[in-house]
Amino acid sequence: MTSAPREPYRAHARTAHGACRECLRRSWLLSELSPVLDSLAPRRERLNASLALPDEALIAALGGRRRESLRARHAAFAPEPSEPGRGVEAICRHDPGYPRALRGDAAPWMLNIAGGAGARLTRLTAGPLVALLGSRRASDYGREMARTLARDLTASGVTVASTLTDGVGGAAQTGVQDAGGGGIAMLGGGLGVCPTRWRTLYGSLTARGCALSELPHACPGRRWGLPAGERIAVGLAGLAVVVEARETPHELGAAHTARALGRPLAVVPGRVTSPLSTGPHALLREGASPIRDAEDILELLYREPRPPIRAGGRVAERSLALEPDLRTIIDLVGSGADTPDRLVAAGAEPSELLHALTELELRGLLARGENGRYLPRHAF
Amino acid sequence: MGADDVLARTHAFTIDGLRARRVSVEVDVRPGLPAFTVVGLADAAVREARERIHAAIHNSGFEFPARRVTVNLAPADLPKAGAGLDLAIACALLGAAGQLATERLEHVALLGELGLDGGVRRSHGTLAVAEATRRAGLTMLVLAATDAHEAELVDGLQLAVVERLRSAVRVLEGGAPDARSRRSPRSALAACAAPRALDLADVRGQHHAVRALVIAAAGGHSCLLRGPPGTGKTMLAQRVASILPPLGREEAVEVARIHSLAGARLVGLPRARPFRAPHHSITAAGLIGGAQRGRVGEVVLAHHGVLFLDELAEFARATLEALRQPLEDGRVVIVRARHSAVHPTRFMLLAATNPCPCGYAGEGERCGCSESEVARHNRRLSGPLLDRMDLVVNLQRSDGAGLDGAATTSSAAARARVLLARERQARRLAHEGIAINAHMDVRAVLEHARLDARGAELLQRARAGGLLSARGEQRALRVARTIADLNASERVRAADLGAALALRAEAGLGDVRAA
Repeated sequence: MTSAPREPYRAHARTAHGACRECLRRSWLLSELSPVLDSLAPRRERLNASLALPDEALIAALGGRRRESLRARHAAFAPEPSEPGRGVEAICRHDPGYPRALRGDAAPWMLNIAGGAGARLTRLTAGPLVALLGSRRASDYGREMARTLARDLTASGVTVASTLTDGVGGAAQTGVQDAGGGGIAMLGGGLGVCPTRWRTLYGSLTARGCALSELPHACPGRRWGLPAGERIAVGLAGLAVVVEARETPHELGAAHTARALGRPLAVVPGRVTSPLSTGPHALLREGASPIRDAEDILELLYREPRPPIRAGGRVAERSLALEPDLRTIIDLVGSGADTPDRLVAAGAEPSELLHALTELELRGLLARGENGRYLPRHAF
Repeated sequence: MGADDVLARTHAFTIDGLRARRVSVEVDVRPGLPAFTVVGLADAAVREARERIHAAIHNSGFEFPARRVTVNLAPADLPKAGAGLDLAIACALLGAAGQLATERLEHVALLGELGLDGGVRRSHGTLAVAEATRRAGLTMLVLAATDAHEAELVDGLQLAVVERLRSAVRVLEGGAPDARSRRSPRSALAACAAPRALDLADVRGQHHAVRALVIAAAGGHSCLLRGPPGTGKTMLAQRVASILPPLGREEAVEVARIHSLAGARLVGLPRARPFRAPHHSITAAGLIGGAQRGRVGEVVLAHHGVLFLDELAEFARATLEALRQPLEDGRVVIVRARHSAVHPTRFMLLAATNPCPCGYAGEGERCGCSESEVARHNRRLSGPLLDRMDLVVNLQRSDGAGLDGAATTSSAAARARVLLARERQARRLAHEGIAINAHMDVRAVLEHARLDARGAELLQRARAGGLLSARGEQRALRVARTIADLNASERVRAADLGAALALRAEAGLGDVRAA
């Protein structure tokens, strides 16, 4: 980054790197300020406010003792020849194809898109878009709900945006993949450092969806990266859905961002005794809409009842169509008897139980979660 | 070479893996500076025999020849190990020195270690040596009193018990052997010392796991117990031996031979199946064998019994990988620079593991592991070994009932069911040359695990739904066959297959959460 200044770029001209020099410089500046931004990550309003500042003000506010050297390097900035990275396309707010939803001050200046899919981003963000948000330490229930919602929404033609993380975010992207569609996933670091365990999802995002980052290609994942990613997902979305979150400023940060941006909020209710559902329930009391399935989300999006295109109806309706013995089992699982021993204790017939569980799993009505506990799922 | 009377020959056996190999012991005594040389790839224990023999001969009232003594152990290229050759060398030496008539010496085998006072001590591998003696057509086996019980298991072999070198000389000159020690004192002692048998009736709750273990025991299927700490994984595993049928006579002899070679002391034929539970720090060589010549691994010691790997995820990956051949083929082929061996390894594999590094996955907030930590934990198990687990049983903390809950069954009742199921299997599989469902190959599965129409349709859907790999399908069918056998049904019904599918490892356990 300290290389000699090259031929000056004309302001707002698209460079060989895809984005203009100012926007690439913004991305560089953010990566330079990462340590300070990390310290802001727990205080979401301050983080968002900082990210909304213009470059000069940002250096003044966060630069500290490095202000002078940062200013000098900022003035002399030339993009790294390696940016934006192989197979990655950069797109900035000066590009006519830049998503309109991201034109506000708080929005990112530029985005790196894996797979060179700038046109795809434009297409995906043109239609209805829902952000699925929640804890990185979600329960089986939260993950299963996120996955099912994402799958059914994708199948119904709604784009799903989330962060690419453990918990709700990763489960949502898995659901998108289940439906064979493409979603929008925010990474916490540069695209070049996607963790190995996300490679499969990253691959399908590159092929059909968009993996996005506002940081330089090789910038390692940062603590502030995911909260900032949530602000982008929420910014793109017409509706933000909190699936599972503790009632803490950190885990509800995305919801507060959504409210600040004026996006409608919806939540997936859970058990009132579960710490992971305290967040959604708190939001519910403040007026968020409760969500049971993709159909409810579609209704909120289109303001009229609208059946999901390929989803299989509500749990209650579907279990009516089942054989009585299978219906008994799925109702018992749904009400908390999630292990064979508990099911037998709740009155299931031991000799037929395992067969029934297999049958329900095959039909996609049950899944196995942590340590083999059964949980209901919505079949396709 | 001097005159005939200065050369003597007799027979002994050395242990090579699980075999006893015949060793001809030749001793030549000739004029020259006093020396005592042993040739023929002897290990340290055999080389040190010189000192023991020297002292034992003196202390037994014989004279050690003050001449040049050469002991040759043939065949020359077979390494000889252990102290069991002492007695043979000493007697041949006395023969060559003219202190013992050599006519009988050439037709007997001698086994035993010598003490400095001339006492004969036990040696390990007696059973194998006794069998080999009979096979070699030798007339008599001379051995220590403490080894006699083991050698008695071989029919049609004349045994001569000797307590001292002097008695051995007497026997070889046509005298009477020493009186055999009574068996009763030690076996009575052993009976007293045996711990109270572990019983399934001690297990409260965990009905699902107990039922699964009965299935595993009935068909000899490998089984993984997964659950948080304190749910009774180890307790259950330790009780599996109590519901397995006792060893048949042939099996018992095989087990006795293996354990005797490994140095265990036998009191009559074993009836209970071996239960081996090596610590997770074990190396691949310790598990498979071959660390040093003749040393068998835990998989061989578990032959016809149970191999229990507690804390499966803690085992070194290379160690678990090494289990593949023994599990698949029922034998292990060990090839080292100087030797090779084939050992039988028909065991039932039992394993236990926590569902995540902290152990509390599925227990709500108590688990502090991130999704990636759990994924990494599961990856350690997945692949080679998980793919070979017929049954995967998840144990959860029992709620409500707790320790007041009822036991599912007692070991006696469970064993009765297992025995009946095994009889059905043995009858059906007799012409295949196997006895239990776990050993059925692809063709046998096709022939003996025929599904009814609904079962076939269920299997078809499981395959189409991506729940089953080809190997997974074979495993599920074998388990389904066993469940049908437990239900005394000749036909495998859909319900049997359904239960088998519910007990399999969930698809892609390693990456289910990493997605």
